[in-house]
Amino acid sequence: MNLLKKNSTPVLSASHVFFSFDKTPLLQDISFTVQEGSWVAVIGPNGSGKTTLLKLLMGFLKPTQGSISLLGQLPHISHPYIGYVPQVNIYDQKFPLSVVDVVLMGALSELTWYGAYPKSIKQKADHVLHLVGLKHLKHRPFGTLSGGQAQRVLIARALIHDPKILFLDEPTANIDPETQKLILHLLASLKSSMTIIMVTHHLQSFIEHVDNVLCIQNTLTEFSPSQICEHFALGVFHSPLLHKKDRL
Amino acid sequence: MLMQLFHNPFFFTALFAGFAASVAGGIIGSYVVTKRIVFISGSIAHAVLGGMGLALFLRRTLHLDWLKPIYGALAFAIFSAFLIGLIHLYYKQREDTVIASLWTCGMALGVIFLSLTPGYNVEVLNFLFGNILWTAKQDIFLLLGLDALIFLVIFFFHRRFLAICFDDKQALLQGARVNTLYFLLLSLVAITVVLLIQVVGVILVIAILTLPAAIANLLTQRFAKMMLLASLLGMLFSLIGIGTSFILNWPPGATISLIASLGYFLALLLKPHD
Repeated sequence: MNLLKKNSTPVLSASHVFFSFDKTPLLQDISFTVQEGSWVAVIGPNGSGKTTLLKLLMGFLKPTQGSISLLGQLPHISHPYIGYVPQVNIYDQKFPLSVVDVVLMGALSELTWYGAYPKSIKQKADHVLHLVGLKHLKHRPFGTLSGGQAQRVLIARALIHDPKILFLDEPTANIDPETQKLILHLLASLKSSMTIIMVTHHLQSFIEHVDNVLCIQNTLTEFSPSQICEHFALGVFHSPLLHKKDRL
Repeated sequence: MLMQLFHNPFFFTALFAGFAASVAGGIIGSYVVTKRIVFISGSIAHAVLGGMGLALFLRRTLHLDWLKPIYGALAFAIFSAFLIGLIHLYYKQREDTVIASLWTCGMALGVIFLSLTPGYNVEVLNFLFGNILWTAKQDIFLLLGLDALIFLVIFFFHRRFLAICFDDKQALLQGARVNTLYFLLLSLVAITVVLLIQVVGVILVIAILTLPAAIANLLTQRFAKMMLLASLLGMLFSLIGIGTSFILNWPPGATISLIASLGYFLALLLKPHD
């Protein structure tokens, strides 16, 4: 199933993907394609397998069955072209690193043989920090930032090596509405230059911008934004939506 | 009393050994604390007793005078680091239990070999609780050699180690050989453990490896500063510990560890709460 009309080149395709953990099936028969330059939102209830799907797509996990192709090859081979923004709460607040140190980690592959970052990469770090509006905090300890600031630093880290496809795991979770808007505008500005796949619980904020919505609840159901919108009027969009889709 | 201390021929050798071990401990301890592999490091440290016991057993029974317990410690430390690395990567579900069994296995082997070794084994207590005052000049050269090796590896790999400690998935996306780096880091932990065993012994090594780094982590938000502070704190604890043990006739390893622990509690009490 593919509802995207943007560009005919698929950058990502999953074909009959199954994934089990400890013999418990988490994802069943997932198939979809994503076209180049699209913005795809992944939604679903807690524990439905959204983050697992993201990890499968990036090659951190291997499907129990089925295949995934990212930029025409196996996901782990496409790693250099992936930008990944995880949830900010996975990090140790006491880890002694500055903001710019964290951003530079997104360009680890650019380290010289003696383990230093080239000047051009340091300038690039300044540029991406400027892009997310945090250049003035580059020397601030990462652990002292607010949730929203930390999230923007992680976006800067993902952007420093010019990825072709950007994965985000709940980029607006636990942050204030003002920062949510900032992140929304930032992602909207990136839409023309890369494909964006984003797990979110705040679909209402993004619905005007996304091209496609994947609803995960062990299986996958694909929606266009217009199909989703009518359900927002009811204030429900998970299981009821899936049941409605079955009847469509 | 202080003059006696400075005229004691063992004092400066012991202090030098303490300083050499503290530098390595401060640097590697910073990775251990931030990557939260204190338990893994403790297991490597205790498994080392098996190597020390085996080396002493072979030395006495086969008259291999060149075979020092520290060589056995080094071999067992590196071996157990690799084994633990494999467990961490491929046996995640019961990782802590398997690592604890390796910890016990190493210590049990050590105790058995030491009991089978002929003669009076005064070394046992030195292995377990350390005796820095018995550090020989040849040991100092070995300590300095291991220090130099650690410096060299850290110089080239610091940023990569930092990346896998902070976020190994991001490092993987960037093409870093995360598993190889993890094994390399554990090997450095193993070498550092052997260095520190000279100072405080098997039982107390984890204190001096982690406490200076943990205190430094309370005082700074910069990794390089954390390493420097942890090394300086390790030196300070060694100096105060050796001096106190000389004056009060206490065992030096335990005294150094006790002072490091008191230093940590003090830092926790004085640090403003978030």
